[in-house]
Amino acid sequence: MAALRYAVEEAVASLWRGRRSAVLSIGTIAVALFVLGAFLVLTVNLERLAADWSQAAELSVFLADEVGADQQRAIEEALATGPVVASRAFVSQSDALARFKQMFSDLAASADALDANPLPASYEVRLQPGVTGEAVEELASRLRQVPGVADVRYDRQWLDRLLAAVALIRRIGFALGALLTVAAGLTVGNVVRLALHARRDEIVIMQLVGAPTAYVRGPFIVEGVLQGGLGALVALLALGVAFWATQAPYLVPLAAALNMTAVAFLPFITAIYLMLGGMLVGCLGGILATRSESR
Amino acid sequence: MIEARHLSKLYSRGVYALRDLNLTIAKGEFLFLTGPSGAGKSTLLRLLLREELPSEGEVTVAGRNLSVLSSQEVQAYRRSLGFVFQDFRLIPRMSVFQNVAFVMRVLGVPVPVQQRRTFQMLKWVGLQHRMNALPDELSGGEQQRIAIARALVNEPQLVLADEPTGNLDPDLSLEIMNLLREINARGTTVVVATHDRELIRRVGRRAVTLDHGRITEVG
Ligand SMILES: Nc1ncnc2c1ncn2[C@@H]1O[C@H](COP(=O)(O)OP(=O)(O)OP(=O)(O)O)[C@@H](O)[C@H]1O
Ligand SMILES: [Mg+2]
Repeated sequence: MAALRYAVEEAVASLWRGRRSAVLSIGTIAVALFVLGAFLVLTVNLERLAADWSQAAELSVFLADEVGADQQRAIEEALATGPVVASRAFVSQSDALARFKQMFSDLAASADALDANPLPASYEVRLQPGVTGEAVEELASRLRQVPGVADVRYDRQWLDRLLAAVALIRRIGFALGALLTVAAGLTVGNVVRLALHARRDEIVIMQLVGAPTAYVRGPFIVEGVLQGGLGALVALLALGVAFWATQAPYLVPLAAALNMTAVAFLPFITAIYLMLGGMLVGCLGGILATRSESR
Repeated sequence: MIEARHLSKLYSRGVYALRDLNLTIAKGEFLFLTGPSGAGKSTLLRLLLREELPSEGEVTVAGRNLSVLSSQEVQAYRRSLGFVFQDFRLIPRMSVFQNVAFVMRVLGVPVPVQQRRTFQMLKWVGLQHRMNALPDELSGGEQQRIAIARALVNEPQLVLADEPTGNLDPDLSLEIMNLLREINARGTTVVVATHDRELIRRVGRRAVTLDHGRITEVG
């Protein structure tokens, strides 16, 4: 405990003395974690979007106006629950009209004026989670062959593309973040090494009067941790400001256009992880520096 | 207190700084190490501080064989003794007070005790009025007295001093010797390396003369 207090006091003092070079390492950590955090915000929201989309009906099978009972049975057979189809719901012509009226109340009166119901009956089909695009495509083309089917609408492709994009973006984000983080760790290491070098004589004296290793190295490692933590803090603040600044002009309309409730910021726990990550990187940088410096 | 047996130190260049040295220093003794430049005085003190390891033979201090200590034990051993370096070796960015208090701080001595003892020690060496100064702001003699205060503040059983009067005028030298004599009078073993024979004569204590790494004269 006494050693920790000593290390923190010395580290704060040393950081303040070497604040010019510390700005450099805090800056690189901040940039690395900002990039990582920005990608995280992006993927968190795209994942939410994907989840929203997969809640919606994925395959709509519209029936021809004159569909016979045995044709309908054949269609239902093709839509039997299995490896691809999770469930199906029948929407009759009158159901469809009721929905239409509910959704577009302005047009309800004109719809009533029509003597025949113009909306087709349909099956709304939920797909099994994790089903491949090809399997769905195969099902859709088989359904199109079935007599009595007027059209098959299939928006799974969009979901698949979205999911692929999320995966890709996440990978790019992590690769870039990892690269920048390593660079940041090395920068911290070098800044700590500079501090160590400047205080080489002092370290020798401390060793000669029998200072325990925790007292000799501790301050430098804590200095790395502080740099990392400050860098992460700067990154989180910058992310927050960027998020807040783009919220009204871009993010809210975007969310509305994509049918999302709102665009979310980083979850609290992720922010904590970023913070801890920054400190860990700083700590490793500090350890690296003290290791290499002590012959 | 100190027992050196067949102690040799061979540096890489093939020079024996110490050669088959046998020496016993009793508890409570005040001993001078003397001899010409290059005789091996500093080498012996460095071995006693465990700054270096002997090439041959062994040295025992208060029952501890210095060759077989772990690094933690080395740290504890060094904290248990007081060492005065010829070039003072004060930590430049710490105040006089912090320099003297440093080892107690590391030892986890309660702050009020640290402060009381440091202050008393500074008063004893006559520099309590400079306790907030940095080492660079002091004269050589003042820095030397601070170095002695640091070495003695923990009341070590053994004090080693390498040329503690190296760059001081005779009056100041005697003053510093008096400080060491005083601590010796309280029971602390003191070993002082110096080539100042006049000083040894004035202090009047046992002296061991080294030359080319061997003991040539025991006073
Ligand atoms: N680190 C070292 N590497 C190689 N040789 C060394 C080293 N330190 C000391 N020596 C040699 O060991 C011998 C003894 O040196 P030492 O410093 O012990 O002498 P000394 O008696 O303290 O002399 P002085 O009175 O000048 O301080 C000298 O010949 C010196 O050149
Ligand atoms: Mg010497």
